[in-house]
Amino acid sequence: MTDSPAIVIDALSLGYGSTSVLDTLSLSIPRGKITVLAGPNGCGKSTLLRAIRRLHKPSDGRILLETTDIAKLGERMLARQIGLLAQSPSAPDDMTVEELVRLGRYPHQSMLQPWSPDDTRAFEAAMAGTGVAHLRHRHLGSLSGGQLQRVWIAMVLAQETEIVCLDEPVNHLDMSHQLDCLDLVRQLNSAFGRTIVLVLHDLNLAARYADQLVFLRDGAVAATGKPEELMTQELIARVFDVDAMIITDPAYGRPLCIPLNTRERVIGA
Amino acid sequence: MSALNTSLFKARTPVGLAIMVCAFALLALSGVAFGSSWIPMDQVASVILGAGEKTQRLIVLQLRLPRVVIAALAGGGMAVAGYLLQKVTRNALASPSVLGVIDGAALGVVLFLALLSNESNTLIIPIGYQPLAALAGAVLGITLVFLLSGRQSSSAVRLLLFGIAMAAVFKAMVMVLILIGPIYRASQASRWLAGSVNEINWSEIQITLVMLVPLLVMAVLAARKMPPADLDEVSARSIGLNLPVFRIVIFALAAGLTAVSVAFVGGVGFIGLMAPHLARLMVGRNVYAGLLGSFLLGAIMLVGADLIVRVLFSPVEVPAGTVTAVIGAPYFLFLLMSRQRHDG
Repeated sequence: MTDSPAIVIDALSLGYGSTSVLDTLSLSIPRGKITVLAGPNGCGKSTLLRAIRRLHKPSDGRILLETTDIAKLGERMLARQIGLLAQSPSAPDDMTVEELVRLGRYPHQSMLQPWSPDDTRAFEAAMAGTGVAHLRHRHLGSLSGGQLQRVWIAMVLAQETEIVCLDEPVNHLDMSHQLDCLDLVRQLNSAFGRTIVLVLHDLNLAARYADQLVFLRDGAVAATGKPEELMTQELIARVFDVDAMIITDPAYGRPLCIPLNTRERVIGA
Repeated sequence: MSALNTSLFKARTPVGLAIMVCAFALLALSGVAFGSSWIPMDQVASVILGAGEKTQRLIVLQLRLPRVVIAALAGGGMAVAGYLLQKVTRNALASPSVLGVIDGAALGVVLFLALLSNESNTLIIPIGYQPLAALAGAVLGITLVFLLSGRQSSSAVRLLLFGIAMAAVFKAMVMVLILIGPIYRASQASRWLAGSVNEINWSEIQITLVMLVPLLVMAVLAARKMPPADLDEVSARSIGLNLPVFRIVIFALAAGLTAVSVAFVGGVGFIGLMAPHLARLMVGRNVYAGLLGSFLLGAIMLVGADLIVRVLFSPVEVPAGTVTAVIGAPYFLFLLMSRQRHDG
């Protein structure tokens, strides 16, 4: 089972009005791994992530979960299988941490199935797993940016979906909180066994955390593979239009991209 | 979802609701006791419980009680409509009057008075049909707002903007019809437009109940799905609430509640704005408590407003809507000025 992909995207096309954003895009998301989508602005990476969670309707093609087309799944059923942390999520300032994280259990409940011991277990596990248990009664408005992001991740974790999508989760965070947040995401993957799909802007963070890296350009997959395979001078020039030098970082042994500015390009030439 | 909410009941929730119930009971009894003649509270209570002498029974049961009951139902219905709208748009400034419903109803009433009069300016059908005209106008109003906003109707802000624009158009048409019509029609129409709860009989209350109760039940059923609506659109949808569809259902529900509420009492303003906002302050985020609290506060406001006009202006019948407007307009301004960064 672990070898079959968690998600198969099959010739997906999608557009807003007459503008095409994704063009017959095909991609497999491996189960139990961290997949990072990267690419220049407007390449369609966020749109792809939202399409996976069915927030955008494709004009053509399909997205398969196991063998089921997600278009055929009920709203709650889908929400029990794929979680998504929005790029800039918002909740009322006077909502407490506990109230927000409990909302993650929403898709598991119904009129005949109110809050159960199972919900309590998942809720507590999410609070503890993200280290926000001590913030339980705090209002969201009183939290720092890093804490707030942890709380939102706790909500998505409480949802207990096999697949967790995160749309640029470190955008508004400083360096230490960026690492903190991505370490937490890696923990969701390693300790909780979740399949992670991540949109990241920072190529070096992407290379550091990805099991599978996907480069998108113009609404299609430009390349996909391990970070070591993708982080090459040629590919980065082709996908990002940037001349770069790739070295192996001495601390973690991951590829590190050093973009060269125009002056150095001239010097290099 | 009920358990999820119940467990989050704050201490202030039951206290807030208890205060509202007491205030409502007190106001309702006063509403029956006050009038051209004072009937002591204990006698009011005994009449309601089935005893009391004949004239008192007539005054209480046929003249004063219907007035209090319709005020409670209409005020409560409008407040619930406002609560639903504020919740689903995440905006404390949303209310039934910005959806074009109340102004649509007003246009219905004025058209009724204008079109169904003969040359000597008397109505050719009984005035009793006027509420039907209000209802038809309200339904027409919200339908037009939805039709014109078309594909944009799934966006809360767009829908509200279309609602406000349509409300302005309806208002202008009402004004024109009143200005070009004969003077007595203006006074007739303005009674409804200002909103007043006198001259209501039990059969009208029955009609209101038959339409209002199913809508309220639907509101309570919808409440179970409502908690994610506190979040942004993407987050709400990703935890499993189909927000675009849900929002349309809620808007339609709110329009129906408003239409039924204003059909007999007229365009009472600001209750749909004030009551739900205060209710949320008093009982917190819980949706069921919010709905109940909104209904109670809406009822309190209209019963109270009617009591005030009767005590202050008796024997002249001043529409209760003038009081809600006098209190509500500054409240609206206060809300506008005190809005903070993240208004939930």
